Amino acid sequence: MKTKDFLSQSSIVVRFFSSVKLAIFLFIILALTSIIGTVLPQEESLQFYMEHYGPFYFKVIKDLHLYDTYHAWWYLGLMALFSVNLVVCTIKRLPFTLRLFNRSYMDLGKDELLRRPLKAQWKCSKTANTAQTRSQLLETFTRFTGRPESKGGVDGGQLFLSDRGKWSYWGVYLIHVSVLVIFAGAILGSFTGFKGRIMLLEGESTDHAVQMDSHGKIKKIPLGFTLKCNRFRVDFYPSGAPKLFKSDLSIIDNGREVLKKSIVVNSPLTYKGITFYQSSYQSVPDLKIRITSSDGLQKELDLSAFDRGLWPEKKLMVGIIKYLPNVHGAPAARVYAGDPAGNDGAAVWLLEGHDREVNLGRDSFRLSLVSAKERYMTGLQVKRDPGVWIVWLGCAIMVIGFGIVFYVGHRRLWLWIRQDRDVIEVILAGQTNKNKVSFEKEFDKVKEAIDTQIGEK
Amino acid sequence: MHLSSSYILSLTTFVYLGATAIYLLYWIFRLEKVGVLGTIVTVAGFIMQTVGIGMRWYESYQMGYGHAPLSNLYESLVFFSWVTILVYLVVEFKTRNRVIGAFATPFACLAMAYASFSPNVQDSIQPLIPALQSNWLIAHVITCFLGYASFAVACGFGIMYLVRGGARASSSYLIDALPSRRMLDELMHQTIIFGFLWLTVGIITGAVWANQAWGTYWSWDPKETWSLITWFVYATALHARFVRGWAGKKIAYLSIIGFVSVIFTYFGVNFLLSGLHSYGAS
Ligand code: HEM
Repeated sequence: MKTKDFLSQSSIVVRFFSSVKLAIFLFIILALTSIIGTVLPQEESLQFYMEHYGPFYFKVIKDLHLYDTYHAWWYLGLMALFSVNLVVCTIKRLPFTLRLFNRSYMDLGKDELLRRPLKAQWKCSKTANTAQTRSQLLETFTRFTGRPESKGGVDGGQLFLSDRGKWSYWGVYLIHVSVLVIFAGAILGSFTGFKGRIMLLEGESTDHAVQMDSHGKIKKIPLGFTLKCNRFRVDFYPSGAPKLFKSDLSIIDNGREVLKKSIVVNSPLTYKGITFYQSSYQSVPDLKIRITSSDGLQKELDLSAFDRGLWPEKKLMVGIIKYLPNVHGAPAARVYAGDPAGNDGAAVWLLEGHDREVNLGRDSFRLSLVSAKERYMTGLQVKRDPGVWIVWLGCAIMVIGFGIVFYVGHRRLWLWIRQDRDVIEVILAGQTNKNKVSFEKEFDKVKEAIDTQIGEK
Repeated sequence: MHLSSSYILSLTTFVYLGATAIYLLYWIFRLEKVGVLGTIVTVAGFIMQTVGIGMRWYESYQMGYGHAPLSNLYESLVFFSWVTILVYLVVEFKTRNRVIGAFATPFACLAMAYASFSPNVQDSIQPLIPALQSNWLIAHVITCFLGYASFAVACGFGIMYLVRGGARASSSYLIDALPSRRMLDELMHQTIIFGFLWLTVGIITGAVWANQAWGTYWSWDPKETWSLITWFVYATALHARFVRGWAGKKIAYLSIIGFVSVIFTYFGVNFLLSGLHSYGAS
């Protein structure tokens, strides 16, 4: 009793998970819910949603994880259900497809042949040499369709069958499996890969990428080798639109330069499974500041933006607050000068070639911007994704599957011949499940060929 | 006036408008000669458009930053219109039914009118920014638009089906000229299949391109997501038809809904959602 209950229940479960109704339901639900994330701004701070949508919707958004819809528990749950649906459905249909695949189409009689969608029939009496006609017919048939199976004693005649494209029944399995392969690749990538950024000044190197998590915390991810940016170049069109971003990179592994490559957008560099993509750039100024103290001593400092330098003997700190590449044709910088403890200081604008005097309580200094050069800082996207090739494999399988499912049909052509002294009777029948038009053309060609052959006699 | 490619392309709008009118006349008066004229005008428009696209390509080289004319909204609309006509002409050749023209050429005409005359659409040739400098982009645009154009034609079949289905059986002279319901159903199915195949390849080539440019093959941005939504709609149509035996009217509705989703993927995301986003961000 109990096992039976269990079985009937489990069969309900199996039926539920294998049903195409569920698949259609999921297609529609996924289509509808996917809209949410395209309308509601994603991955903003929780505060943003509170401010824009009010406390009620804020709670909905927070509880349903709508601020990151496509990684919400329920969305991933729908995807998981979808996968289960696909797996169960595929397994459940296997025996059915196997039967379809193994089925023989040689067991048809004359009447059944005449019930095929395509058919033609000839009856020719007083044929001089029926045996010769028969072998000619067979030769014609073979020429069009390849080597046929044959069987005798079918309603007193012989049946030939050319059975092609049977394997196309497996095409839909390729498509369905490919979806799972793509999911597998995406999951593998999200668990074993990482994504980060690197900003590198020309001439600088680094051995790690930087990742910012959702709380704004910065995490360093070691690369396992060193990446150096030798040079960065940016070109513009006359209209001012960017034309080219290019970084000359070197990989240094175990203290040795092992690889050198220039990358541009759309042409990244991969080393040991980690790929570097050109994504942005910044220009960073290198400023040379000369300081002259009131006693005539001089000191030069090389600084970049937001950088600071010291003149220890004079207990003076100089920092760059802001840099403008072009003020009335010359570079300019806003510079702070003061004691290192940060008390007692002043900020002034320095224009290249124009000195400025800064009076601190204890002493006065003359500051001058000697030169300003811009250096580039390349912005790289860094990614390791061991699953990506599995995703591409899945995509390839899917496209091949589509080709088979949509355009390869199971094409069957039968030829039945009965010879009876000087009478020869012929039936040609055909059936396909796809591309009916082109199959009809083929059928007509065979039919015409038989027409002319039998007509000749 | 300087004979530029955008001038020639804007003229094709009127040629396709003419073709639409002639196909409509053919539908009403059923004169074989009018039908043939419809085909001639359509083919002429198609040739003109092909020349226009070729010229635009050539002009881009003369301006010093040559690239295939598939890189902005204007160029993609022109290409959409071009492929729609191409798909339609293949269908006309295969079915020998010219009434379909009255339902297919308007899509091409509207796309060209929008491209040429809307203030939202820039028709100047622009150089390619670094992210667009990829052969995958060309593959992506061509495959997506093969899909979109097939869906446009499938939508035309859906409308024809509903026009036919809404009227009482063989009630009117106009309805009788449409292909039979069975044939429309089959045509709808075939074009959806063709479109689905190319949309799939389009999404894949887009993913390959994104992966090469940014290292992410899928980032759930609104455009990507909407193409997936569109894909789900047509997957519904295929499964419902194949496995649950839906046909005719239901599939006709799905093919129209699907095309609305295509249009939204194409324009809505640019004009409506980006607006929403910028509103949300302000
Ligand atoms: C993204 C996911 C899917 C894609 C792209 C897909 C694609 C396809 C395609 C193209 C066909 C062939 C239709 C035709 O010949 O007209 C098909 C058939 C089918 N699909 Fe799916 N499908 C998906 C998911 C599913 C799921 C979740 C189920 C679960 C029940 C399912 C069940 C079936 C069945 C039973 C058939 C008929 C198989 C046969 O030819 O015997 N599919 N699918």
